[in-house]
Amino acid sequence: MASDKPQTGGSLLFNVLQQHGVQHVFGYPGGAIMPIYDALYDSDVNHYLCRHEQGAAFSAVGYARASGDVGVCLATSGPGATNLITGLADALADSIPVVAITGQVPTSAMGSDAFQEIDIFGLSLACTKHSFQVTDINDLEKVLHKAFAIALEGRQGPVLVDIPKDIQLAQVPTDSEHFSPLKNKVKLPPADVVAAKALLTAAKQPILYVGGGVGMANAVDELREFARATGLPSVSTLKGLGALDPNCDNYLGMLGMHGTKASNLAVQECDLLVVVGARFDDRVTGKLDEFAPNAKVIHFDIDTAEINKRRNADAAILGDLKINLPDLAAELTIGDWQAKCQQMKADCAWDYNHPGDTIFAPAVLNEISNKMPENTCVTTDVGQHQMWAAQHMAFNDPSNFLTSGGMGTMGFGLPAAIGAQISRPHDCVIAVTGDGSFMMNVQELSTIKRFQVPVKIVLIDNAKLGMVRQWQDLFFDGRLSETDLSDNPDFIMLATAFDIKAKQITKKSEVTAAIEEMLDHNGPYLLQLKIDALDNVWPLVPPNTANDKMMEST
Amino acid sequence: MNHYQLTIKADDKQVVLERILQVTRYRGFLISGIEAKVNTGTNIGTIVLFVRSERSITLLVDQINKLIDIKEVHVDKSETA
Ligand SMILES: Cc1ncc(C[n+]2csc(CCOP(=O)(O)OP(=O)(O)O)c2C)c(N)n1
Ligand SMILES: [Mg+2]
Repeated sequence: MASDKPQTGGSLLFNVLQQHGVQHVFGYPGGAIMPIYDALYDSDVNHYLCRHEQGAAFSAVGYARASGDVGVCLATSGPGATNLITGLADALADSIPVVAITGQVPTSAMGSDAFQEIDIFGLSLACTKHSFQVTDINDLEKVLHKAFAIALEGRQGPVLVDIPKDIQLAQVPTDSEHFSPLKNKVKLPPADVVAAKALLTAAKQPILYVGGGVGMANAVDELREFARATGLPSVSTLKGLGALDPNCDNYLGMLGMHGTKASNLAVQECDLLVVVGARFDDRVTGKLDEFAPNAKVIHFDIDTAEINKRRNADAAILGDLKINLPDLAAELTIGDWQAKCQQMKADCAWDYNHPGDTIFAPAVLNEISNKMPENTCVTTDVGQHQMWAAQHMAFNDPSNFLTSGGMGTMGFGLPAAIGAQISRPHDCVIAVTGDGSFMMNVQELSTIKRFQVPVKIVLIDNAKLGMVRQWQDLFFDGRLSETDLSDNPDFIMLATAFDIKAKQITKKSEVTAAIEEMLDHNGPYLLQLKIDALDNVWPLVPPNTANDKMMEST
Repeated sequence: MNHYQLTIKADDKQVVLERILQVTRYRGFLISGIEAKVNTGTNIGTIVLFVRSERSITLLVDQINKLIDIKEVHVDKSETA
């Protein structure tokens, strides 16, 4: 090893991070990671001190999703490490490339119930794509490189590297031993393009069903070209939003539990589903046996394990979408079906007319969507406001809509927005949050204050855990158990305490000016919208019900 | 109930057995027996797994195959009811 190589495990870490182009990391220090923080002191890597390790993990997720690069977070052993877990689970469920570094008690103390010792390596098995515990300084460099490679290759995901304190302090040897190189042992079967093409050209009522895999594969252009060439009527999952051109006539919107009526009806009626980077999630399919009951399936994915997992594929095309999608493109004669879908879309268009003075969240979100600068990145929390954002805002790329899909984690929105803003300092970033979710990582307002992160926070305040309240009203006889938040704090005073400009509005007539003021403001801003506590998200497919049996009102 | 026997070859890491057991349980397969030769110093561990489930074995094979340390999974026997 050359003489300018770092001397300790801790400084080696930052050296490797820089080799992978990492400029920004999110973290929180503590005893067992002190040598790494000591090395950080001399490093050029920017560290963002979050105020809870969960915030650091979600900022890393937001950073990764907004930029396409690996997000990195750091935490100490014990409680620091366990605080990362929700963020890692979220990244696993949504296939987000994150590398988490945890400090561990020294190897000599491991297994002795030492102070702040927890078996984070064991805990990581169920919530990471892969994990390492480094017990030999000779392995550290290779492990760190492998962590980045694994996070990014194939189906992306989070990787944890647990580094005991003595390894962080150890001298890096001059010639480190080589790690067995990663071999991809699963040979992807040859793509079934001929069979798929036969299915596609024979179909009379085909639908393109697009998921988050398109953005992850960086295949938005290929997808849009495929959609244009085939003219397929198309629908998107929550995570797929932004992949298809939202202004295309053949695009019917989101499908599933809170999908558009046109999408769900078209999917139920179709005779072929061309599934691209999606996985038949239960929030998408409703009652699985009755999902698209007459459809054959062509399934594109990078992950073999998704094929035939919840729905059998008549043709499977495994591998890189960028390469595989163009192979299936064909001109189709489906004019009648296109016309029918477009008519359904027109018949079921959103109606923003709303009686009275009270603010109507769908209309506000739609207005923000129309007014926000191009390439704005929107994050959401979880609940009604999330579904309204998905339904009523339009995105031109999946990296511009960051929402916790697979895990549905409240507390995601604010720290994810911070990470997104740091990765894209010149783009507008808006966090759409709810009064319940906002409080789950509210401490991150401190991170915003310290770094003057100019995130715009749109707080949809119904003084309720609204989505749960909606289900209690609809499916639990209106027994409103523990969903009232009428004693919320004064959110304006709260934001002001962190030097964040804030405004509350309660009437429709105030909406336009407030949106403009927020978007024109240079720094961080919180806009609190008071809405009716009883507003519901429609349509709604009740759980375990076929998607054409959606409820549209009470 | 279906009964299956799998032979798994893996990079011989300390944690590999735990990973296989975790995935097997989580994906809905009951372990009836296991024969494992790991940490032998040869870099390759061999695990023979006897499992039963209502589910198709490909669901488990695909998930075990995704584990980074796994080199090969082979279904030796499958008795489907
Ligand atoms: C960490 C976590 N805990 C609990 C839930 C269950 N949950 C889903 S939506 C919701 C209510 C969210 O309330 P709020 O953020 O105010 O959004 P609203 O539905 O009112 O728009 C709850 C409690 C969750 N998704 N995540
Ligand atoms: Mg709420």
